[in-house]
Amino acid sequence: MADGEDLFDSILLADEKYRGEGYREGFQRGTRRGLQGGRRHGASHGARLSSEVSFYHGFATTWKCLLDHSTDVKSRKRLKALESLLGLIRDSPLDNPQSVTLQSNTDKLRAKFRQVCSMLSVPADFRDIHTAAGTSF
Amino acid sequence: MSWVKAASFNGEDVFDESGDELSLQSKEWMSNMKKRVKDGYVDGVDAGEEASLQAGFDQGFREGAAQTAAVGRLKGMVSAISCWCQIQHPESPVPAAVTDLLQQVVKHEDQIMDGIKRALENPPPSVSDVSESMEDLEVEPSGCAEGACKESDCCRTAEKMELGSRSTDCSSSVEEDLNHLLQRCVDVVLNLGLPQELIAHIEEIKRL
Repeated sequence: MADGEDLFDSILLADEKYRGEGYREGFQRGTRRGLQGGRRHGASHGARLSSEVSFYHGFATTWKCLLDHSTDVKSRKRLKALESLLGLIRDSPLDNPQSVTLQSNTDKLRAKFRQVCSMLSVPADFRDIHTAAGTSF
Repeated sequence: MSWVKAASFNGEDVFDESGDELSLQSKEWMSNMKKRVKDGYVDGVDAGEEASLQAGFDQGFREGAAQTAAVGRLKGMVSAISCWCQIQHPESPVPAAVTDLLQQVVKHEDQIMDGIKRALENPPPSVSDVSESMEDLEVEPSGCAEGACKESDCCRTAEKMELGSRSTDCSSSVEEDLNHLLQRCVDVVLNLGLPQELIAHIEEIKRL
């Protein structure tokens, strides 16, 4: 009886052992596959969002330089809006895609950018330049 | 005495039969255990993929973001200059130097995006895929036989090399193109008599 149980145990053990061997090997391969697949998708998302935010950055920086020496009230207001856009960009680093504030920060940035554009009397169709590059994050 | 013969005959027969049965059983056992290995493998692949997908995404996200940060910023700068020209001189068209530059920058960015999209749509065959199909064909990896090196280490180095060579191949020419576009932007700033501070911001892009 005891021998029978031992045999039964060793069959179960072997079962687990072989299954576990396969699992470990599969897990390694799955890990590589997941890393590669995730990396490709992440690259596409990261590139699009970074392109958009970097665009705002370059745009705001340049306008700030161009308006810096103007002293009229209108230019001052515009400069203030540009400063606040640049501040938002500084507060929205793209180093953590899992950040809970990423989406809300991006929404704020877009809204601020639209406001800046209208204050600068920049034609609306101009925004299409980077919509083509994808703002559909 | 005939029963002794019969018994010994029977004994032999029984022995032979049990021998066949044993080999049959061991075959069944083997195929059962092979199936266990396969089942475990399939589950392992799924679990491994699920466990690593997010980490891969995060890594790729940062890499992708780094690839478009410079060109995105330059595009923003040239776009702003173009708008400025339009507003300052509504009666005359935006200088060709500015519109051409903007076009080139957009084109440059499209190239980077296309490269990333291509990698997404046609993932390069990974070494592990290749080695697995070779396993299916029962081809022994030459020079990398088990025992000679740790197989997983071997594959990992090969994958690294593949990724490495790809990124160096295109990054050198992309960098060259970007530097050229940055220089053209500096020229535009100087030619249009725009504030000198802009040049420092253009230089900053190089360090991104």
